[in-house]
Amino acid sequence: MHALIQGIILGILTAGVYALMASGQTLIFGIMKVVNLAQGAMVILGAYLAFQLFTSFGIDPFLAIPITTVALFVVGVLVQLLFLRPLRSDDRSELSLLVTFAVALLLEGIMSVIWSTSDRSINTHYANSSWTVFGYQITLVRLWAFLLSLFALGLLYLLLNRTRFGRAIRASVQNPESATLLGVQSERVSAIGFGLGAATAAAAGSVYGLLYPFNSGSHYDLISRLLSIVILGGLGSVGGAVIGALVISVSSAIVASAISPIWSEMTFFIVLLLVLLVRPRGLFGTAARGAI
Amino acid sequence: MSEPRELLRVTDIEVRYGAIRALKGVSFTVGEGEVVALLGANGAGKTTTQKTISGMLRPAVGSITFEGRRIDGIPAHELIGLGICHVPEGRHVFPRMTVHENLEMGAFRFKRVDSADLERVLELFPRLRERIKQQAGTLSGGEQQMLAIGRALMGKPRLLLLDEPSMGLAPLIVAQIFEIVREINTTGVTVLVVEQNAAQALTLADRGYVLETGEIVLEGTGRELLADDRIRAAYLGEEIAAS
Repeated sequence: MHALIQGIILGILTAGVYALMASGQTLIFGIMKVVNLAQGAMVILGAYLAFQLFTSFGIDPFLAIPITTVALFVVGVLVQLLFLRPLRSDDRSELSLLVTFAVALLLEGIMSVIWSTSDRSINTHYANSSWTVFGYQITLVRLWAFLLSLFALGLLYLLLNRTRFGRAIRASVQNPESATLLGVQSERVSAIGFGLGAATAAAAGSVYGLLYPFNSGSHYDLISRLLSIVILGGLGSVGGAVIGALVISVSSAIVASAISPIWSEMTFFIVLLLVLLVRPRGLFGTAARGAI
Repeated sequence: MSEPRELLRVTDIEVRYGAIRALKGVSFTVGEGEVVALLGANGAGKTTTQKTISGMLRPAVGSITFEGRRIDGIPAHELIGLGICHVPEGRHVFPRMTVHENLEMGAFRFKRVDSADLERVLELFPRLRERIKQQAGTLSGGEQQMLAIGRALMGKPRLLLLDEPSMGLAPLIVAQIFEIVREINTTGVTVLVVEQNAAQALTLADRGYVLETGEIVLEGTGRELLADDRIRAAYLGEEIAAS
C-alpha cells in the first residue's frame, strides 16, 4: 500500500510536467490543425538551453525559464512562418506531419552538433534533496517542477481566457471563418500560437532536464508520450491534455509500483487504446474542432 | 422617393471554383439604408456572391466597390474595418465561449468593447441577456442565429451581409428574426440578405435580385418581385398552371 501511494504521488508530480508539454502541443493542433512532431525536440532544445545556461553561467534552470521560453517562442514563430505557412490550407494537416518531423530531425541534428549525443543532466545542488512527509518521500525537484507547471498552465489559462488576444486564439480554434470575418488575422494568430506552444515546451524542457538525463535523441520517446497524452485528452483541448497527462502518468506509476517498472512504459499505450475504444475522440475532444 | 446614395456596387464579377464558374458576371448595387435581397435556389450563387463581397473569395473578373472605393482584393479580416460585416450561413457562433464572450469577439476590431453597443444588442435580443453567461453551443438554433447577428452588430457595421438567417428555424422564430433585421435597418444599417425563404425576404426587402446558375435573371422592388409569376412559381411554391 505504501508503495502504491508513493507511486501515485510520483505520478501526479510527473503529470504536471507532461501536462505543460502537452498543452503546447494541443494548442498548436487546436489553432492550426497541425500535429507538431517537433514538440518533443523543442522540449529537449529547452533542456539543452537550460543546461548550457546552468553550466556556463550558473543560472538555475528554474530561473532560466524566462530566457528559454522567449528563445523558443522565437524558434516557434520562425518554424511557422518559414515551414508551415507556405503549405496550402487544404492539405496542411497531412503535410505538416512531414514538415514538423523534418523540423524535429533538423533540431536533433543541430543539438547533436552543439552538444554531442552523449547523455547530459543538470545537477543542481538540490537535485537529490527530498522531504519525507508522513513516511512518503517527495523529491524537491519534482515538487518544484510540479508547482512550476501549474503556474505556467495557470498563465496559459489566463492568457487564453482573460485577454483579447487569447479570445482571438480561442475564436480561431472554434470557428476560423467567423474569427476572420470579425477581423482576426489568422496568420498572425497561427504564428503567435505556434510560438506559445514552443514556449511551453521550453518551460517544460528546463524541468525535464532537471528530472531526467537527456540526449539529442530523447525526443523520440517524448513525442510518443506527448501524442498519447493529447490524443487521450482530445486533440485541441488544453484541459484534456492536463487530464490526459494525469491519467497516463498516474496509471503508469501505479503499474510500476504494483506490478513492475518494465510494464509501466507500455501502460501509456494500453490506457490510450482502452480510452480510444470507448471514446474515439479522446476524453474531451469534439468531433471537428478543438475544445479550448 | 429619391434614389438612395450608392453604398455597394458589384460589377460583372466572375468567381471560379477550379473549372466551375460559380458566378458568371453578376452586377448589382445596394444603396445606403436599403434592405436588398438576393434570392435563388440552392447553388445559384447567392452565398458565393456574399463571400466574394466579404473577401473570403476573390473574383476572377470584375470589381466590387464600397463607397466608391475598390474592395475586391482586400483580405477578409480587414474588410470589417470598413464596416462590412458578414454573418455566414449556418450560425457560426463560437460554441465553447459564453454569449458574452461571443459578443466581445464581435467588437474585436475595436480595442475595447463599447458598453452602449452591448446594451443595444441585449435590448434587441432579450433572450441573449438571459443567457449571457451560457456557452453559445448550448443555445437553441434561433438563439444562436440571434447571437450571430448580435455579434455582427457589435462591430458597428454599415453594411450587414446576412446569409440564410431563416435556415432551419421554426416559422415563429423566423418572423422574429426578420422583425429584428427590420429594426436594425431602421437604425441606419444597410442590409444585404441572402434567402431561400423568398416570401419572408421580399416583404422585408426594398429591392431584390434573383440569381440562377450564377447569373442575375430578375430584379425589382420587393413588391414587384412578390407579384411576379415566375417568382411565385419558383420560390413561393405556387402552382401557376393550376390557378
